[in-house]
Amino acid sequence: MADLEIANLHVRTEDREILRGVDLKIDRGEIHALMGPNGSGKSTLANTLMGHPAYEITEGTITFRGEDISEAEPHERARAGLFLAFQYPVSIPGVSVANFLRMAINAKREEPIQVKEFRTQLQHAIELLDVDRSFTSRHLNDGFSGGEKKRAEILQMAMLQPDIAILDETDSGLDIDALRVVAEGVQRLHDEQGLGALIITHYQRILHYVQPQFVHILMDGRIVLEGGVELVERLEREGYDQIRQEYGAADALDVAGA
Amino acid sequence: MSDTAVTPEAEPGTGAAAPKPGRHREATLNHALAGAGAGDGRSLAELRQAARGIYDTVPLPVWRRSGFWTTTLRDLDLEALHVPEHPVGKTPAIVSETLAGKPTAGLLVQRGGSVVHTDLSEELAARGVILCSLEQAAAEHRELFERYYLSRLTIDRHRLEAANAALWTGGAFLYVPPGVIVEDPFAIAYVIDEPGTAQYAHTLAIGDRGAEFRLQEYDLAPDFEGTALHAGAFELYLRDGARCRLAHFQDWGTGGVHDVSTHFVGVGRDAYCHWLPAILGGHLTRQHLELAVSEPGGDMAFRGVFFTERDEHLDEFAVDLHETGPSSGDVHWRGAATGESRASFEGLIQIDPGAQQTHTYLQIHTMMLSPKAKVDAIPSVLVSSHDVSASHGGTVGELDESAIFYMQSRGLDRPSAVRVIVEGFFEPLIGQLDDEHLEELIRTRIAAKLERARGDIESYARNR
Repeated sequence: MADLEIANLHVRTEDREILRGVDLKIDRGEIHALMGPNGSGKSTLANTLMGHPAYEITEGTITFRGEDISEAEPHERARAGLFLAFQYPVSIPGVSVANFLRMAINAKREEPIQVKEFRTQLQHAIELLDVDRSFTSRHLNDGFSGGEKKRAEILQMAMLQPDIAILDETDSGLDIDALRVVAEGVQRLHDEQGLGALIITHYQRILHYVQPQFVHILMDGRIVLEGGVELVERLEREGYDQIRQEYGAADALDVAGA
Repeated sequence: MSDTAVTPEAEPGTGAAAPKPGRHREATLNHALAGAGAGDGRSLAELRQAARGIYDTVPLPVWRRSGFWTTTLRDLDLEALHVPEHPVGKTPAIVSETLAGKPTAGLLVQRGGSVVHTDLSEELAARGVILCSLEQAAAEHRELFERYYLSRLTIDRHRLEAANAALWTGGAFLYVPPGVIVEDPFAIAYVIDEPGTAQYAHTLAIGDRGAEFRLQEYDLAPDFEGTALHAGAFELYLRDGARCRLAHFQDWGTGGVHDVSTHFVGVGRDAYCHWLPAILGGHLTRQHLELAVSEPGGDMAFRGVFFTERDEHLDEFAVDLHETGPSSGDVHWRGAATGESRASFEGLIQIDPGAQQTHTYLQIHTMMLSPKAKVDAIPSVLVSSHDVSASHGGTVGELDESAIFYMQSRGLDRPSAVRVIVEGFFEPLIGQLDDEHLEELIRTRIAAKLERARGDIESYARNR
């Protein structure tokens, strides 16, 4: 059984059904890309995986390392080893990056982390993300630029060392330098720590810096196409519309048959 | 004086809005003291007698303003209270616990009606610093006492103000001579440790020319069943160039302590005061806090935090008064409420005629943590000079669910996430106290309140 297994996942918000039967399996050490046009349900999937209360699972399950976590609280999922890098990270005024990291690390542990060990890890992460040392004493995301927020997300990921990370459009709004730093950070965490990642993106850019082994295309709440990195190239050539034409019909048939 | 009102809609940064003759603040009956106090050359005995006459004839006060707000003392029976006396000696446990590990330049403790402990280092005494009971100051430092006592506080606005002036016992007196700089804070503690207590507390403090010091007043009570009264008066005068970091730490516990107090700080020429009242517990609290820039060049930061819980009732009226210019002010308050508590904070900027080149800003931020709590924040501005800027802003907030989800996604459980948000909300003020012990004390009290309100906060979130 894969570390993260999503089976026949149907999700709705207050007014409508967004995911209509998603299946996905991700193991540690694998890099998956989930691509899709706007409104296809990418962010819904990311938030649902992390347990956002606004999304209701109407059918299907999320299993993490053998346990059904469909009903688990977000903090329980985090402690189990899931991580979500937010598309729009929220600012937490009054709490420094370093203090927040210490709280988050300690939330997973019985004994609080030793000061020295924490410093060593933090130093390593700072170098990885190419940020200034003073970055960690600033209030988390408070007054951060778009690029700083995304770096802070990856910094947290590096410190918390999850088994599987979901990156929700981490590439959006980044200039090319920031994108490279963020993407290389993910690649290195994969190489060094065996991180498994689900990189959710609208664009192909980030995939020039992180090599996915598996690519999934999400449209209208379903995965309509799966393959390897060659899918990214095809998408670059043809765009989403071509794929929609090809698979839209099958999708409609499926719905009619359900 | 001819007050002209600027409506609360005044935009930040627009400077003095055009005077609108005939319009007056409607929301409130609160006014600044804004004038000479009762101490006009009369002796202490004469002032006590005059106050006694008022105390004997006027009823207990009621404070009202529009918006369905009333502060009454209806469950306070003055006849049933007495002023307990205690011999000099042991410091009450609640003071030792609260101040444990805190370095102080001097400490004065009043328990009930009596000062039970005073200490001041010999070194500071040799440099002319005076820390003693106000009774002792009236007898032994008469010149200083008569010069400053009630020089800005009144005795006739309401019955409990008169009661304080007529009946105060013990009291605290601090004098820091010209040019004396003291690093550690002076601490003054008023303790009520039994129900039925009436405590008429009076602090008089003077920072002479160029003095620099810290002063902290602690108002403390252990939890008890029953009613008590703290009718307090506090006056601090800062002379030319003096600098003071002042803090009030109030936590009267869960007993029925009624705190009706008036605090006045006068900032002299080129003097500076950073004042932080932390109002963290009391059955009923009604305070008039006034910080006045009285001479040119005065500057101040008026910061405050409050946190009400259970069925506490808090009524704060804070005045940022500019009697002359150039002067500047920065008023910033933050408050939260849980349970079925009620808190009203009214902040008034008043710029008197002739106080040209005054620049001041008032902001009030509040956070509701329970569906049954109520917090009112009312800024108002009275401007009578034209070359000034006075503005205000504020927010009324609830818990940010997206921030909670964000922190949960990092492994913090919901109560921890709420705690981070609320602590972060207060941190801009607490983190600037420049006193680690006091900062930790306030943080710890706030954390304890959040812990007690856990169920409250949970159900609030579920029902939204």
